[in-house]
Amino acid sequence: MFVRNLVLIMVATFCFSILFNIRGKNIFFTALGGGITWIFYSTSINLIQADIYAVFIAAIAAGIYSETMARVLKAPVTVFVICAIIPLVPGGAMYQTMLQTVQGNVSQSVSLGIHTLAIAGTIAIGIFVITSSFRLAALINKKIKKTPSV
Amino acid sequence: MDINRIVHIAANAGRIILENGGETYRAEETINRLCNSYDLIGSESFVTPTIVIVSASSNFSQTISIIKRINYREINLEKIAQINNLSRNIKNLGYSLEAIETELARIDSVKPYDLKFMVLASSIAAGCLTMVFGGNVNDMIVSAFAGGLMKLLLYYLSSFKANDFFINIFGGFFATLIALICVSLNLATNLDKVIIGSLMLLVPGLAITNAIRDTIAGDLISGIMMAVEAFLIAIAVAVGSGIVFKIWFSFFGGL
Repeated sequence: MFVRNLVLIMVATFCFSILFNIRGKNIFFTALGGGITWIFYSTSINLIQADIYAVFIAAIAAGIYSETMARVLKAPVTVFVICAIIPLVPGGAMYQTMLQTVQGNVSQSVSLGIHTLAIAGTIAIGIFVITSSFRLAALINKKIKKTPSV
Repeated sequence: MDINRIVHIAANAGRIILENGGETYRAEETINRLCNSYDLIGSESFVTPTIVIVSASSNFSQTISIIKRINYREINLEKIAQINNLSRNIKNLGYSLEAIETELARIDSVKPYDLKFMVLASSIAAGCLTMVFGGNVNDMIVSAFAGGLMKLLLYYLSSFKANDFFINIFGGFFATLIALICVSLNLATNLDKVIIGSLMLLVPGLAITNAIRDTIAGDLISGIMMAVEAFLIAIAVAVGSGIVFKIWFSFFGGL
């Protein structure tokens, strides 16, 4: 089951990178990024049963993978980040919110809506943390190189 | 040194980046890098998702500024990658101004993938995601059909340069309609899985990513603009599929 889902997610991410017009060898690495995110997400949701926490861990994994790959393959980070967060994007929660709203269950729809926003915000924070730390590392690196060695 | 020409080239590069889904800070960085690699020191740029402003002055107190308005945006990350490589390698490879102009024109004319290929990709993606969310094989086939047909429809809509939110309302509407019809004809069993799988194609992943990255880079205006765009796209998709549900409930009473 786990392997089947992993393969399906990687195929889906591969197709998404075609929709974003990514070409060449980058496509295979974006598909791999989707797979890695999914591995982290599904393992951590099995271990801790709290989906926002699992999304945070998976977003951190996605961020690290994307930043590293962008430096290795000399391509913009966006290419990898967009595809890597595809498995995390709260499509299901969005659908449930919409359905409850249409059926007139206000309290249900509000709580689901906040949950959806929380997932989206968590993805953002996960990527935010990683990108900022990579930037900080680059700045420190630059500074060390600039200061003349004693 | 022809500052006119350099500034035009830089503004053009910024325009291509913004029109194809690049981040705002990347556009500014590229413009500044292009100007610097031709020793145009006094250059400033201000970029938001809808506008590029570049201004530069030469040693002889001659000033020039250019505004480029961005009217529509699409997603072609290959162009972004190529411009990124180009702007980083100008000094190493020693491009002349002519060479850079022809190279930019070539990058600007990079075609997106073939329509058939795109439709195939979106149906496979929708089908796979439906399976992952727990659908069975019938659900997968219906969702793949809905996803492919939706992509085809949206392609023709966006070729009229229709409004982004309108396009997404239409996409949500269409995917939900197909799913409801197929489930009521017993072609598929899990309505929610089919709809979620095909709606994932419309989810604003690019806008979320760009909002995060622009905010980190300090472009707060652009970050907020992209976040609002992401939110509105999500709302538009939900509205589109909500309309179908509402009509379905009032005509047929329940699922």
